[in-house]
Amino acid sequence: MNWALWWAQIRAIIRLEMRKTFFAKRGIWIYLLALAPAVLFFADSIAVMHDRDRRAESESTHAVSAKTLDSIEMGTTRGQVEAKLGEPYAKEVFSFGRRGQNEHAVYRYTDGQSDYVFIFQDDELVGRRVNELRTISKDSLVFATVFQFFFLRLAIFFGCVGIFTNLFRGELLDKSLHFYLLAPVRREVLLVGKYLAGLIATVVIFTTSTALQLMAMGWHLTGPAMTEYLHGPGLGQIGAYLGVTALACLGYGSVFLAAGLLFRNPIIPAAVVLLWESANPFLPAALKKISVIFYLQSMCPVVARPNDMPALAALLLSSAEATPAIWAVSGLIVLTLAVLAVAARQARKLEINYSSD
Amino acid sequence: MIATPGTSAEAIGTPPPIEESLVIFDNVSRFYGEVLGVNRVTLTIPPGITSLVGPNGSGKTTLMNLMTGLVRPTRGEIRVLGAATNDPERLFKLVGYSTQFDSFPKGLTGFEFVYSFLRLFGDSHAECESRAWKAIERVNLVEPAKRKVAGYSKGMRQRIKLAQAIAHDPRVLVLDEPLNGLDPLVRAETIALFREFAAKGRHVIMSTHILHEVDMISDQVILLANGYVVAEGEISGVRSEISEQPIQVQIRCDKPSAMASRVFQTDHVVEVKLHVDGGGLLIKTRDADKFYRLLNHIALDGIAIESVTPADDNANSIYEYLIGGEESTK
Repeated sequence: MNWALWWAQIRAIIRLEMRKTFFAKRGIWIYLLALAPAVLFFADSIAVMHDRDRRAESESTHAVSAKTLDSIEMGTTRGQVEAKLGEPYAKEVFSFGRRGQNEHAVYRYTDGQSDYVFIFQDDELVGRRVNELRTISKDSLVFATVFQFFFLRLAIFFGCVGIFTNLFRGELLDKSLHFYLLAPVRREVLLVGKYLAGLIATVVIFTTSTALQLMAMGWHLTGPAMTEYLHGPGLGQIGAYLGVTALACLGYGSVFLAAGLLFRNPIIPAAVVLLWESANPFLPAALKKISVIFYLQSMCPVVARPNDMPALAALLLSSAEATPAIWAVSGLIVLTLAVLAVAARQARKLEINYSSD
Repeated sequence: MIATPGTSAEAIGTPPPIEESLVIFDNVSRFYGEVLGVNRVTLTIPPGITSLVGPNGSGKTTLMNLMTGLVRPTRGEIRVLGAATNDPERLFKLVGYSTQFDSFPKGLTGFEFVYSFLRLFGDSHAECESRAWKAIERVNLVEPAKRKVAGYSKGMRQRIKLAQAIAHDPRVLVLDEPLNGLDPLVRAETIALFREFAAKGRHVIMSTHILHEVDMISDQVILLANGYVVAEGEISGVRSEISEQPIQVQIRCDKPSAMASRVFQTDHVVEVKLHVDGGGLLIKTRDADKFYRLLNHIALDGIAIESVTPADDNANSIYEYLIGGEESTK
């Protein structure tokens, strides 16, 4: 066993792969995919801050207490509402029907914290909606949903497809893999080197994205709210999300590295894995564990609620049973090692026959 | 070339020291599905320059890929200086292979390309840097070495591949069409490099389809057709084994007509052609030994012989005799 040589070779492979992975033009879409949710969270935060400022401004000019606003009952006329609450800070009136005989109106009031929206039909209050100012608990739930539905299922999943399948398959298509196979490197060492290179690249890209998303999510929080969050569940949640992101790269990375060695067209195994992961909630307990998403969702600090989501989106959220983190991490590592063992076996059999690839 | 019909797998299993200086194919076959790559190849390649010659699809590249473990034999065994082809850690310290594939890892400069793959040998940065520059210098590519390989000409790409193959100072250099795309000057320099390599007692095994270069460069040839080795050995030795083709000899002498009349009295001379300048003749004989003995007598009988040159003792003729009827080279 020549561990020192193998380690030196692994480092050499990582250096070479890094140059290709991090600065490849064909990898730009992965950066965009990774950064998309962070951009959305930043945009959302800016909107929340803008909304907060507007409410504060409305409060100073149209101050109405929450108690008074809550006292308005259905069936009340617009005139009665205006008499009791004063002029709304925003008012929209529409006429519809053949000759404009029907009227629809929306009045907006605020108590400085929540927005009250009153909906009138033909001068009669028919609906009322209260839009509360965003809180960290609400944000956490939104983040959990985006993280589990979009980030884990799509961004990291397809990012790993793009990076890990190309480690071998991409080089076969580029007809440049033979340079590695003509070096005094064991195929297993080559596999580990390439896997670690892919892992470093994906972990850097996606944990950076997770960190940016969390930062963007909290961008609108005021100082005290942020302090309260960080002293409460905040740091634990941040650590958990970063950890889950890294573990997702670990698990999906191994799966797609093996797929790149086993299949000529990586889109087919990627689609199969996506289907398998999506079917996870409906699988028997034993089969559920042969899945990356099972372990990942077990470790997510906030449970996303499929009931609040569209049916199709909810389908993609596995109702992971509560699995202790230690078991989830161990299970994922065992799964990763098993998949890498299959990949190593395939790498040993790998031949260069570019014309058939 | 060493005769190999008796080479056995057991002998390869416990190689005596001599086998550690040879490249040995023992009854090697390789099929791609139902398509034949090479079949029942038994060869022993000694040090020196060996050319693999054959038409497209004859199995030259397959033989090289088998030798370097890029493809595995369906049957048989290969040893390169005693190393098995499925033992990369040992094999590729001995072997450098410049393939026919004209593609490179993306985004690398010529230097980075040579240097990066040298690092896989586990040597230090300084050692690899020094070796990389030495190899680049050897192929005269120092100036463009800092530029991206993607911007190189075909000839430069060939040379940087060669630099990468020789950078670790291998004992066996395998080259697939290494002279393709090189201009005459660089071609001559590259051939000199191969000769220098071979002169150190190393192996240079190359495929080529330029037959006149085979004569010029090679110590041995291996002729391939349809996946089979049809001839192997030194060019003159291979020629002498082709008994069904009369041997052609060019003679320059003062009395070509008299000589023609003398040689026609024997049964082994089948054809004589007088040179138009009246200063020589071409003779085709089925028995070279008898002919050269006869030539001694003729010389003693007063015909002044200026020169005697074998006219078909070259790869081109051998190729024509053995394969030419079926296919032509690239």
